[in-house]
Amino acid sequence: MNDKKIKKRTIIFLTASIVALLIFFILGLMLGRFNIAIDDFFKAIFTSDASLDTQRSIIVNLRLPRTIMAAFVGMGLSLSGLLYQETFRNKLVSPDLLGVSTGASVGAAIAIVLGLSSAFISIFAFLMGLLTVFVTVMISKLFRNGSSTILLLSGIIVGGFMSAILSLIKYMSGDITTLASITYWLMGSFESANMSRDYILMGVVVVCIVVLLLITHPINLVNQGKAEAQTKGINYNFYRGLIIVLSTVLTAISVCFCGTVSWIGLVIPHIVRLIAGRDAKRTIPLCITFGATFMIVVDILSRTFTDSEIPLSAVTGLLGTVIFVIILIIKRRKLNEHKDI
Amino acid sequence: MNIKTSNLSFKYDKKAAKPVLNHLNLDIKEGTVNVLLGLNGCGKTTLIKLLAGLEKPTEGSVIYGDKNLKDIKIRDRAKIFAYVPQQANVTNDIPVRQYLSYGTTNTLAFYEHPGKEEMEKVEATANRLGISHLLEKNLGEISGGELQIVLIACALIQNTEILLLDEPTSALDMKNQNLVLSILKSVAKEGKTIILSSHNPNHALFLDSNVILINNGVVCDEGKAKELIKVNKLIPIYGEHVCVSKDLGYEEISFK
Repeated sequence: MNDKKIKKRTIIFLTASIVALLIFFILGLMLGRFNIAIDDFFKAIFTSDASLDTQRSIIVNLRLPRTIMAAFVGMGLSLSGLLYQETFRNKLVSPDLLGVSTGASVGAAIAIVLGLSSAFISIFAFLMGLLTVFVTVMISKLFRNGSSTILLLSGIIVGGFMSAILSLIKYMSGDITTLASITYWLMGSFESANMSRDYILMGVVVVCIVVLLLITHPINLVNQGKAEAQTKGINYNFYRGLIIVLSTVLTAISVCFCGTVSWIGLVIPHIVRLIAGRDAKRTIPLCITFGATFMIVVDILSRTFTDSEIPLSAVTGLLGTVIFVIILIIKRRKLNEHKDI
Repeated sequence: MNIKTSNLSFKYDKKAAKPVLNHLNLDIKEGTVNVLLGLNGCGKTTLIKLLAGLEKPTEGSVIYGDKNLKDIKIRDRAKIFAYVPQQANVTNDIPVRQYLSYGTTNTLAFYEHPGKEEMEKVEATANRLGISHLLEKNLGEISGGELQIVLIACALIQNTEILLLDEPTSALDMKNQNLVLSILKSVAKEGKTIILSSHNPNHALFLDSNVILINNGVVCDEGKAKELIKVNKLIPIYGEHVCVSKDLGYEEISFK
């Protein structure tokens, strides 16, 4: 397709998704088990009417932190998925490629078994997620082969090992409450959201996004492989390393606060590429707005329709699989030609 | 800028008994066209990759001007030479225009994107090579031969004084072989240094180039094409079926 048409389409979708993000952000503050009518919502926000103290408290103390968290987790996981898929030139990989999510899950499970507070669960999850990726990279170095395939293989090995550890922890956790807590954490939730956690999450995600937006051209070149990048003047090893570090931090910081959330890192990059092609200066901004909107919608659905919250991964799984099938149908011509999707 | 290799050796597997390239010494003068000839597996592609800094020598060094290649920053290398691979390992689903714009990377800061000026360079080169009609197509939608020309176009957009091309005509039909070789001839007239590998000795004759004959990882002969492309020189490498054909009214290397 003509570059000007793609550019125009990207601008239209980016504008529409920003509007959608704002609308769903407001809906995220209004909707839930206790729905707030639109006039009460605006009165509670913009006036100090004492009769709306309950609504104001729900909006400010409960829904604002979790909606912000949903938006930034959505941005983080979508971007991370996009970057992993582009860097490893495999559109079927997810942010857990190098074992960060399974590592974080083991960290969280250990903290839960030890009976630590939710803050420590997040810290354990974050550190263990990073440690797992570090081990993955170290194992790939043993092969003395800088290829992405070896790194991918190491990720599968370490991820498998961490999954086994997680199963052992669950098996040996003893009481049913601990096991339930681990299982619930693994399925993801924004219940533990608060503003102090949001500030950390926002800080990390914003820094990563700023760096990524500065290096969109090197990202495009890294996607073309080592020979292409290097002979065009891009330090492939440096930029690939930087992209992997940023993606890992984005995944770890997202997962440590809300548990593992599946599908978003796989589905959003595919939608974004359908619209904007494979130019990082277009796909990254779209991933930010689409990912944030998608996650807010998931959060609203997870807490609106039932008395108890539905785990995030259940909602993302249901939505994600349907969307993924639709994407495959849209791309069926390429699939039939055995071309890359 | 002159290019020298000094005792250049390379092994893909360090434990291998025999190196792919064995103490190779070359002295390539600025502004010359040089064709690497030799059998499959003789080390032509490896030599081009070593010259492009895509492999590290097991022994010896590659010198550009007075600088060892390993001491030249990657960004600066892209201002000195451009490289065209034998088989492109690029992503299929980007438009040709976008891929060609990557050739301007050596003029951009890390945070910059190709702008209007860079895209004009892309269009001018595409016009020159007759591939303007491919600009909006994806790389996966064009033929192997067209892709080869796109890769060469991208190298020309890089606007370096040295071009390293690994079998640039391998995927091309006769018409496009002629197109590529004619382009290289005109580029050579601009004073650029060209090093290309080929399986066809006639290409060296067409380009009136220097020839570097490689056999078993060593340079077995070198000189001007007209002097070196002789049956007696080629038989030890290509076998006794090599002959000179005059069927078309001019001398051409062929087979019995």
